[in-house]
Amino acid sequence: MNVLKVPKLTIAVFVLPCLLLYVSMVFVPILFSVYNSTFQWDGLSSVKEFVGLENYKNILLNDPYFWPAVRRTLMYAVFSMVEIPVCLLFAILINRYVRKGNTLVSIYFMPVILSVVIIGQLWKTIYNPLDMGGMINGVLHFLGMDSSMKAWLSSPKFAMYCLYIVSLWQYFGYHLLIQFTGVQNIPADIYEAARIDGAEGFKADRYITLPLIVPVFKISIVLAFIGSLQAFDLIMVMTGGGPAHATDVISTLMYNNTFMSNKYGYGSALAIVLVIICLVFTVLINTIFKRVENKVS
Amino acid sequence: MSAIKKWIVYLLLAILVVTQLYPLLWLVLYSFKTNEEILGGSFFALPQNPRFANYTEAFEAGNYLRYLANSVIVTVVTMVCVIVLASMVAYAISRFRWKLAPVALIIFMLGLMIPMQATLLPLMTIFKGIPFLKNTLGMLILPYIAFQTPVAVFILSGFMKGIPHEIEESAFMDGASVYRIFRSIILPISVPPIMTVCILTFINIWNEYILAATFISKESLKTLPFGVNSFVSQYAVNYGNIGAFLVMGAIPVILIYFILSERITKGMVAGAVKG
Repeated sequence: MNVLKVPKLTIAVFVLPCLLLYVSMVFVPILFSVYNSTFQWDGLSSVKEFVGLENYKNILLNDPYFWPAVRRTLMYAVFSMVEIPVCLLFAILINRYVRKGNTLVSIYFMPVILSVVIIGQLWKTIYNPLDMGGMINGVLHFLGMDSSMKAWLSSPKFAMYCLYIVSLWQYFGYHLLIQFTGVQNIPADIYEAARIDGAEGFKADRYITLPLIVPVFKISIVLAFIGSLQAFDLIMVMTGGGPAHATDVISTLMYNNTFMSNKYGYGSALAIVLVIICLVFTVLINTIFKRVENKVS
Repeated sequence: MSAIKKWIVYLLLAILVVTQLYPLLWLVLYSFKTNEEILGGSFFALPQNPRFANYTEAFEAGNYLRYLANSVIVTVVTMVCVIVLASMVAYAISRFRWKLAPVALIIFMLGLMIPMQATLLPLMTIFKGIPFLKNTLGMLILPYIAFQTPVAVFILSGFMKGIPHEIEESAFMDGASVYRIFRSIILPISVPPIMTVCILTFINIWNEYILAATFISKESLKTLPFGVNSFVSQYAVNYGNIGAFLVMGAIPVILIYFILSERITKGMVAGAVKG
């Protein structure tokens, strides 16, 4: 007997409660959105005008904010992936030079467990203009660089970068922890054997740590990538997509169209576009990694 | 040479401690300052006279305890439901013989890729039509459970696949029912992955903001993140009070982290590696 053979009813009892709730909260809404996305509708009036694929066409061809939002979403992903080699480097250093590495890493991890509301509001005050007590401007003032002082989050040029920095700051500890655990799990006797063969320090890292860390590295990359495609609430807390759409990503564009401008049909279409982008890119990045892994091994 | 290298590394790590922790410490200092001190704009200064009134005022002006209680209710109910429901599904997927088991797993895995914000509008319309859900915390709890189940099913079914079959078999011979085996054998063995699921659910749900902010309009139903955010926008110029309320908002999770830091970091890694 390998697997239990049980009556269908038993299977239903075990699976259905969860499956029904899950499907009705995740898939049914998506289907609803697909349906709504073919209408022009403000959500209040009973007039729903069927427009077919018009909303999608408008998003892709006529919405001046859509493609910049896509670009920002992808930039978000790139920035958060660039952070991961740095995390790996620090993980290796901590593992080699710090005796109580775990404790140190758990200190770096602190920002990860806090709500985006705390993080977002904290950084909003950090970015505040000097006369509102902002920290960055305080430092610049102290250094005598008054000309560089700015209302950071109200500047269309800098606001988005300010948001990237907050995300990098918050998730640094998360990826460091993942990489650190990976480095720690490499058996010590491999290094021992390499030392006898004359490979130590960074030479050992090059030939032992790096090849063995690849799977863990991949996990961080995928998490960072998917996380940034879905990035949303931090931006809503800090800028809401403004000033003048300068920090809009796909999600905030969808939210503002839906709930601020009451364009329910258009917002639904944006939601579907978001889902499709997430699915496509997630599958894509996983395929790329499978290819790379197959080549390596 | 290697001594120098060592000190350079220590210096780097120390700088990193400052960049990761100073903003949090800055917030704590901020929360004890008067408005004049804050607007004075020095980036490092201890408050001259720690102003505890910031805290008492913030406490009186906002519904801190109400928010806290709502967050506890929402998080605990979600956690319990996720564990019960997901472990049942995981058991069926990993141990029962049925043709659709792989399909069920794929359906759940799809959920990992679907961003929660894409369901906001339809969920809101659905909830408006259900009288007994309208204006209750159920509007949050149901989607929270649903969006936490994929990762939970994944972690639990991965673990349960590895439980030796002999254990079940002998219980079966002794005449125990599947339900009994699940409750008295499978669940107790699965405590480690269940802990992981608990931690992931706790961190995600405790901190969730956007769903709460979109669905909840009644003051008495606000959760802590939403409550903190509305306090901040309401008292925009009382900087000290805002700082105090932010600190109060952070305290519960920080306390839990101090007590369980090892468990939490281990759980988050396990969740990441398996998710």
